[in-house]
Amino acid sequence: MCELLHLNIKTVETVEASMFYENRKQSLKEEATTKECKSNSLLESISFNWMDITQDFFDAVSFLKLGELFHDELFGLFEAMSAIEMMDPKMDAGMLCNRGGKPTLNFEQALSVEGRVKLEGLSLKEQIIIVDRTLSCFVSWLEGHSLAQTIFTNLYMHKPYLIECRPLKTFSICMYKIIDIIRDFVSRGVVFEEEDFQLAMYGYRLNPDVTEQRTVGMLREVETELNEVIHSSSNANNSEVEWAIALNCRIRFVRLFYQLFVALKRDSIQAGSGIGECYNLLTTCIELTSSLLKTTYTAEVNPESEGWSHLGFDTMINQRLLPPTFPRYTKIKNNIDSFHYFESLLARLKQALKITTYSSFHEALHYFIELSRSNPCIISRSVMQILYMPENGKILGTANIIDVLRESARNFICPPVLSVRSLIINKDEAKENVEAFLSHCVRPFTLFIQLCGHNRARQRDKLSHLLEDYAALQDEAERVDVYLHNISVKMDPPRSHLACFGTWILYYILKIMIMYLLSGFELELYSFHEYTYIFWYLHEFLYGWLISALTRAENISLNQDFINENVKYRSGGNKRNKLKKKKSRSNSCEIVICQALQNMCGAYYKAMIGFQLEEKIRKPYYEFDNEKVRYEHRFSAFSVLMTPPIVQYSEFYEMTMRLKETGVDMLYFSASKLYHQARTVLESISTPDQEINTLLKVVKTNFIVLKVLASGHKRGREHSLDFDFSAHHHFPIFKLN
Amino acid sequence: MTDAEDDIHKNEDNKECSEAVNLYEIRKSKLMSWINKYMKIEMTDGRILIGTFVCTDKDANVILSSCSELFNTEKTGISEEPRLLGLVMIPGKHIVSVHLEQTCPVHETTTV
Repeated sequence: MCELLHLNIKTVETVEASMFYENRKQSLKEEATTKECKSNSLLESISFNWMDITQDFFDAVSFLKLGELFHDELFGLFEAMSAIEMMDPKMDAGMLCNRGGKPTLNFEQALSVEGRVKLEGLSLKEQIIIVDRTLSCFVSWLEGHSLAQTIFTNLYMHKPYLIECRPLKTFSICMYKIIDIIRDFVSRGVVFEEEDFQLAMYGYRLNPDVTEQRTVGMLREVETELNEVIHSSSNANNSEVEWAIALNCRIRFVRLFYQLFVALKRDSIQAGSGIGECYNLLTTCIELTSSLLKTTYTAEVNPESEGWSHLGFDTMINQRLLPPTFPRYTKIKNNIDSFHYFESLLARLKQALKITTYSSFHEALHYFIELSRSNPCIISRSVMQILYMPENGKILGTANIIDVLRESARNFICPPVLSVRSLIINKDEAKENVEAFLSHCVRPFTLFIQLCGHNRARQRDKLSHLLEDYAALQDEAERVDVYLHNISVKMDPPRSHLACFGTWILYYILKIMIMYLLSGFELELYSFHEYTYIFWYLHEFLYGWLISALTRAENISLNQDFINENVKYRSGGNKRNKLKKKKSRSNSCEIVICQALQNMCGAYYKAMIGFQLEEKIRKPYYEFDNEKVRYEHRFSAFSVLMTPPIVQYSEFYEMTMRLKETGVDMLYFSASKLYHQARTVLESISTPDQEINTLLKVVKTNFIVLKVLASGHKRGREHSLDFDFSAHHHFPIFKLN
Repeated sequence: MTDAEDDIHKNEDNKECSEAVNLYEIRKSKLMSWINKYMKIEMTDGRILIGTFVCTDKDANVILSSCSELFNTEKTGISEEPRLLGLVMIPGKHIVSVHLEQTCPVHETTTV
């Protein structure tokens, strides 16, 4: 009740204040027209009858006790905390030091001032500089700053239709369209967080009344005009031609960039026809960035001096649109950096486009995870999401997600019920059960894909929530398995159906658990002495379980192949033989990598115990430390799962105690042996990719370091140890000093 | 205000200690009468803040709610539209003058 009252009072206050505000606005406009009229007198007389209480006030206040807050009961310390402090340079936007001394002029005002904003007669060079600066602002916006502090610091962007100068006008209009289309991508991609992207428009309306074709057409016209300049005046003025070429290049770039996003947005792209066009546009765009880089003139403008404002830029222009507590300054990238950004953005988009070639869910998910490792920008992440799942329940715009998941389960483990010649599925009830289960899979699996689109820091939190979804799914998978098993053992020939769907789900659960633990290294959440149990958990359990899940899947699907072939043999066909073998290979390749990683984690674990025994890494002071509590905190996210069950601290403690007794030499020796094993396994992979090569580098270096340690060199606490994550996000290289 | 002054006169005869206590009470009631009223505070840099007085302390740090920022054009040379700042704390050391709005706004008094 009290709160309600308070709210009411507050709203009344704001209404009053805004009325007052309007009055003031009115009066200040009048003031602007009649400059003689001093604002001071206006302030006194307009709506208030002021009485000076300065002396009284200070007098009264001095009687308060030290630290006593004087307020009425509706206002407390809590409310007081949210006040912004005046005259604090960090909070007070209106402070003289924060306003740069010059008055800010809006578009109309700037027009009236000589030389601020010109509607026509801009030289080519000036146009190039404005275009470049706007593109830099645009890049800064893409990197997560607000529109108001980036693109809309350009006064020309406020009223593009008033500009008489054609290239600049069309450029501005096209920027509107680009901003609009990118906002659309990001908001539909739903993988952005406040730190990634600012959607707010601050009341600027992007013109929807110009069509795509019209925009592109206008840009083309400008290009032709510029081409005429280039060809006609070729003898007259060399630098003029140079500028015309540079401007032409920019206009072309902007047009292609816009067309690229239009092409990406088109529905036809999911059907595959638009992909080629996108690739072409991307390639041309990338080519153009190199010529953009060659023709930057902004180095000649000194932004510190009058430089920007006479070209229509004012960093303070939108300050009033921002909340009072908002970062004051946005550092705009320089031109060279922003063109490089375009270059890398286009390269990332090219990678994102590749997702359209992955029709199998398993491979697509792996591609998502792989790309996410490089922490790509929000634009490429959103584009990738939209390309893969343009609408709910449809993969790549055509395939039904349930079918894709069914195919994925079939490829992974080939459950008897989903096999080509399954007799079980003919039973209505069994079919219903399987379909219900698959439809329940949709949410967790789409969430998993979506998760890969988020930024790395947010992924960790989302992974732990995803585990909850998968935990529920696993219960159901096991139930369905048992149900189908009861039917299939009675069939002819009798088949087991245990742990089919269960293993399929378990595989994803283990992947999530591993991703969750490893992300802690990347985000630098663990302190060095915690590495021991993290690597222990990975080595002893997660990778072990993952390998056994994969092996089980392989065996079941081989078995299924065998039966299928028998059936076929009897019926005389032998066509699908080769196809099946190829499918199961992806699992066996993954098993090999898992074995290598398991060995690596074991090596880290043993090496860590060795380092601890030697006191190479610092442990927390005894009285502040409780390893059990830390341990339980680190693995608490796993407690939602029934299978695999969470491993208790006591197990870790006992195992580590036993290992400690074997002595430092032995630990280093067995760690180096494990690294060696990991190396052999990794080298056995016939077509190593980037990831495997970096792992090999880590493994080789650490092997040598441990070899040195095992032979008794660099021992003791005086040789301190560092963990170098520069080669790999998750697996550090030991550095001895 | 007159009540408070009357009080002071009345209490002149009383003992000194109780006088101090009373004085304290008087100041408090004075402050209380200002709370939730419009206040205009001029700051050392020439800006003027107008808002509802909600809180203060011994160092004269003042909190105004629904506060607007105006510019004293004579002093700062800035003529800009006022900004709405919301809840604002002004440190006592930056306060130049304090004005209180008297009961009714001018547009009523002027019509009278």
